[in-house]
Formats: sequence, structure tokens, C-alpha cells
Amino acid sequence: MGWEYSEKTKQLFLDAVHGKPGTHLGEIEDPDGLGEHGSVACGDAIRFTFRVRRHPDDPTKDVITTARYLTFGCTSAIAASEALCTIIEQTERTPIEALKITNNDIVQFLEGLPRQKVHCSVMGAEALEAAVFNWAQKRGVDLARLGVTLHTADQEEGRIVCKCFSLSEPYIRRKIKELNLHTVAEITGAIKAGGACASCHHAPGGLQDLLDETWGNRDLKLKVLPELPLVEPVQAAAPPSERVVDSPYQFSKKIEAAINEHVRPMLQCDGGDVEIIDIKDTVVYCRLQGVCKGCASAQQTLRMLIEQTLKDRVDERIRVIGV
Amino acid sequence: MTITYVDNNATTRVAPEVYQAMGPYFTDDYFNPSSMYEPAKRIARAIAESRQRIARLFGLHDDREILFTGCATESDNAAIFGAARANPHRRHIITTTVEHPAVLDVCKDFERNGYDVTFLGVDRNGNLDIGEFVRALRPDTLLVTIMHANNETGVVFPIEQLSRLTKETDPTILFHTDATQSVGKAPLDLPRQFPHVDMLSFSGHKFHAPKGVGGLYVKRGTPCRPLLIGGHQEDGRRAGTENVPYIVGMACAMQVAADCYDDEDTRVRRLRDRLETAIEAQVPYVIVNGKDAPRLPNTLSICCYSVEGEAILAMLDSDGICASSGSACTSGSLEASHVLRAMKVPVHAAHGSVRFSFSRYNTDQDVDRIVEAFPAVIANLRKISPLWDSQKNEPRISERVVA
Repeated sequence: MGWEYSEKTKQLFLDAVHGKPGTHLGEIEDPDGLGEHGSVACGDAIRFTFRVRRHPDDPTKDVITTARYLTFGCTSAIAASEALCTIIEQTERTPIEALKITNNDIVQFLEGLPRQKVHCSVMGAEALEAAVFNWAQKRGVDLARLGVTLHTADQEEGRIVCKCFSLSEPYIRRKIKELNLHTVAEITGAIKAGGACASCHHAPGGLQDLLDETWGNRDLKLKVLPELPLVEPVQAAAPPSERVVDSPYQFSKKIEAAINEHVRPMLQCDGGDVEIIDIKDTVVYCRLQGVCKGCASAQQTLRMLIEQTLKDRVDERIRVIGV
Repeated sequence: MTITYVDNNATTRVAPEVYQAMGPYFTDDYFNPSSMYEPAKRIARAIAESRQRIARLFGLHDDREILFTGCATESDNAAIFGAARANPHRRHIITTTVEHPAVLDVCKDFERNGYDVTFLGVDRNGNLDIGEFVRALRPDTLLVTIMHANNETGVVFPIEQLSRLTKETDPTILFHTDATQSVGKAPLDLPRQFPHVDMLSFSGHKFHAPKGVGGLYVKRGTPCRPLLIGGHQEDGRRAGTENVPYIVGMACAMQVAADCYDDEDTRVRRLRDRLETAIEAQVPYVIVNGKDAPRLPNTLSICCYSVEGEAILAMLDSDGICASSGSACTSGSLEASHVLRAMKVPVHAAHGSVRFSFSRYNTDQDVDRIVEAFPAVIANLRKISPLWDSQKNEPRISERVVA
């Protein structure tokens, strides 16, 4: 599947990777705020740090002066990280004001993102939120009292709906509302949920159910498929009892004993050996080893020596197949 | 900027002689080969000759064993659906976890529809466990469908051995192999090399024919119902008016490919090996996928720790190098390639996969350019990766980076 990135996205990516002046990759030592988001399993991860100009009296008036990121991810993940830092630095915001930056601002800055890549912009916004939370802790700012609610924690709590990317129900519910997602495909595009094994799409309590509960059930339930015609059960050629009197265990033991007593010593004399790979019904799968492997008369060894020995000593219906 | 094209497992350029051979069938010889007049019969003869040519290159005496299709995906679908419909009493299919989606997803769909499917895994080198294969064979097994060469890693499966074991166990189990990546890269004499294979898929655009034409070998007597119904073409086994210029083109391309098999096995192999050695020497923390397994001579699949495949491709692209990746971000599926996951490549590396695949049109200069660009690309991306420790120059391993 291919897609087109905007020129702006491509340019930001190349500038960042080549470390052009004015780009923001890196990590601030001893930062005022640090946030991480994503995981290796998801295929992208960001570590976001910022420094503030501290206000002497009121920490809520700190202004972010420098923002840096390290990003593992694709073209758009790196470009989105670059966009986030640029927006923050250009607009001289306090950390709390910075929270107003949404993934939509990032998408706009990038002049659009392909649908499958929207989650890259969400990742940046999540890392920012985590970093602001970190800053608030360090500076003793009580965000809750200021009426700022942070959601970073719900990623870790609650029932996991998307097991592949460990995304929880509260997180997905919040994102459905925040990002105005209406279909499973939109959810996957925005936050990856359901993007791998797809088993959570229509499972009970899965993505479709969460959508229906959020937006009201609009008769989107899957139609019931017609019953498949029944297929006749497989008939074995004959019941096993008529073919082999021994139990499979006893039968296998006999074969093993016959090979150990009558076949193996002969092969070992010549520096070879044989391994039993499997026994199915009356078919014995063997692999010749040592010098026997690749020997010109391997087929004859199998037929004349092993198969004949087993026919004579265990059961005349035995067939030997060389592996 | 000149283009360095090393994505030949995705598609190949059309050979000039192939393009030339196709030309007349677009302009003067446009007739429907099923029509009665003399000019149309000339077209029918061109198809017959193409079929004979391809049959001969596969070592076949009976050219009716070759069907023309629209692509290898169609060939795979036709083989699996055809086998299932012709043998409705059997409900078990054996395949592998590393198949192309044209087989893998069809098998998964059969599973949804009540079939039992065994997906055989591979080891770290991409090899199958033969014992596991033997144990998977059952009295109700309908079909074994296992690819010849893997598109991502180039690892070659022992089709002769697997098909022989299948047929010696039960001659009525059908054996299909998707040989899309191997046909046209090495000689393949079916009666001699693959006497136990019933069906084999291949595709023209992997060996310098255009996209939009493929083929399916169906051994005489194989119970297989048609996928496309509604016409007498291909003896009623694949209805639809023949894609005449493309069929002529594919036959021509296969002939030219056959003349180049030595080049593929010597010069092209050396290009691949030289690139592999250079990357291993110059880039730390890379894995060559399938290094210790039998591999196609043209394919190099590597995984780089701590970087993401799509970003690698984008940077190579800005240097004019066209390669591909099995990474999540290039597939749209969000998970790293199913092939690399099946090979248990560590997640830190699996997302940083790159595949270079050569053709006879590649040169030493192409390798030079990649060797010049590639180490810097990886170094640059690692510099900005939170999963890379620049001080120690090694991956920073942590399973989760979530705050």
C-alpha cells in the first residue's frame, strides 16, 4: 500500500534527519519536562523534552523556550515530532497553554497526513501531555486544581481492548470522543487500536461496541451470515481397529524395538544411523543419518532393509517413507 | 538524479526485447483469438506458441499444463479455491506462516469458512521443520500450499522433499507451490526437479515481462475446478478473453530470462554478496535474514536495530535508491512483517528491515552507490532514535517506552 506525503512533511523529515540548523532533534539534559509515548512493538516511540524560562514567583507562568525530541519511527512520525517542537517554540507558550496543541494542529502544520498516518501526530500530542505532567510535578503545580485534566494515566488502567498495542478501554473511549472517530478504520488510523490482529474489531466489548456505545447504535450490527451447507464427515478408509490390532503406543514401541534390534546395528556398522520422525497409522517416516544420508543406495536401504524388516517383524502393511 | 533500482522482488523493468515483441499485438494484430477469420487464427497461433515456449522452458511435453492468468495472486487463488471445490470432502489445508498474502490470507479465509488450516512456523533462519510438516499431514488433508522462495527474505523451501513426502503419504493430497519469486531467476525443469508438485504459480513481472500477466502450472489429471467461469478459453479452465500482448510478452521474457540464468547465479549473486559483506562490515547491529538458509541469489534482507524501515526507505529514496521494507509503516498493517516475526527477529530490529533485490540490469555501480549511502542513513536515524545509545553506540533495549 502506498501513500503520498505532503512536500512539507518530506522536507521536515529530511531536514531533521540531516540535522539542519533550526531543527529540534536531540534531548535536553536535565529537562524541565520529559514525556515518552509509544513502544517498540508499535513501531514508533518518541522521547520529548522541554526547557522553560522560569517565572520567579509563579511557576504557572513559566514559558517553554526550547523543545527537543528523539523519535524512532517512520517519515511522518519524525516530521510530526519536528512540527510539534516548532509550533511550541514559535508560539512562546506556558506548558499549560502548550496542552492546547492538538494532533490537528500538527496535521495542519504538516499540510495533511495520510489517513493511515494520523496516529503519528497523536503520538506527539501524547508525549507533550506526559511532559507537561512531568513539569507540573517538578514545579509543584497542582494541575487538577487549575482545572487541567490529564489523561496520560488511562493508557495503563482499565480493561485492555486492543491486545496487540495494549490500549485500554478508557483510553480508546476518550480518543473516540476527542478525535471524533466513527468507524473502526478511523480508530485504527488515529490511535492504531485494532491495527494488527483485528480480533478486537467485532469482539464483544471490542471497538465496534465502544463506537456504538459512544455514538448510539445506528443499526450497524453485522448481518448474520447464512448457514454454510453441512459437509459430509470425513470417512476413514477403514476403522483403525480392523487395520492395526495394537494401540498406537504398542505399535510404535514394536517398531522402535525392531529398528533398534535389527536395523540400527547394521547401519551403525557402516557409520550410519536412522531416526524415526513419525509414525502415522502404518506409515513410518524415517530419516537416514551419518554416511547413510545421501548414500546412493539410500532408497534401497529404506525399502529392503527397514521396510522389509518392519513388515516381517511387526506388520506386513507397514510402509516406510524416507524424509 | 539517476535511479538505483534494487526492488526487483516487487517488480522488474520490462526488457526492451519483450516490449518490442508485444508491440504488434496492440496495433495490427488486435483480433480476438477465438474468432473464426484468418487474422484471428494468427493470434490464436501466437498464444499457442507462447504456451509451448513456456511449457518447454519448464521441461513439459504437454503444453496444456500451462494456464495463463492475470497475476500470481490469481494463480494462487485459482489453485487453492480450485483444489477445494474439486475435493469437497476434505477440509484440511497445510501452509506456512511466511507465505505471501495471496496464499496466507486465502487460507485464513478458508479457516473462517470452517476449514482446518495448519500454519507451519519457521526457525530463526527461515527454515521449516520437516518433522513438523510430516506430523501435520492428515487423512483429510486436501492441499499443501507452500511457497518456493520467500519474497521478503529469499529463503528457498525444499519443495521437492515436501511434495515427495506428501505424495508418498497420500497421492490424493494436492501440492501447490507459489514460485513467483523463483521462476525466471533459476532454471526449473518441473518433471525432473518437482515431479510431485501438482500446481505451481508464477508471475511475468518478476522476470521483466509487464505487470498484469501470470501463469499456473496444473499437472495433467489434477482435480481442480476453475475460478473464472464463463468461457471456453484455456480449455474452459480460465475463462476470459486472452491478454494476447502480455502473454506473448511473458513467453518472450521467460526465454530471455532462461538465457540469463548463468548471469543471475554468478554476477548478480556477487552483487548481492558484495553488498551484504559491505553492510555487515560497516553498520553495527544488523541482522542478515536467512543468512544460513538456502536463499535466492538476488535477495538481501537485513534488519537494523533501533531504526524504522520506512524512514530508511525515505532517506534512501532521497538518494535515488529504490528499495523496500517489511516494516509496519510501509505495509499499512502496523505490525512488523509477518515473515520477520515468524523468524523471531527481535522487535527492536524487525521494524528496521530493508530488502535489496537485484536483477540482471543491476551493476557494480549500483552496489557502490548503496554502500556509499546506506551506513550514513542508518547512523543519522540512530542519532535521533530514542532506542539507540549514541554514547555507547549500541541499542538501548527497553521493552516499553510508554510514559
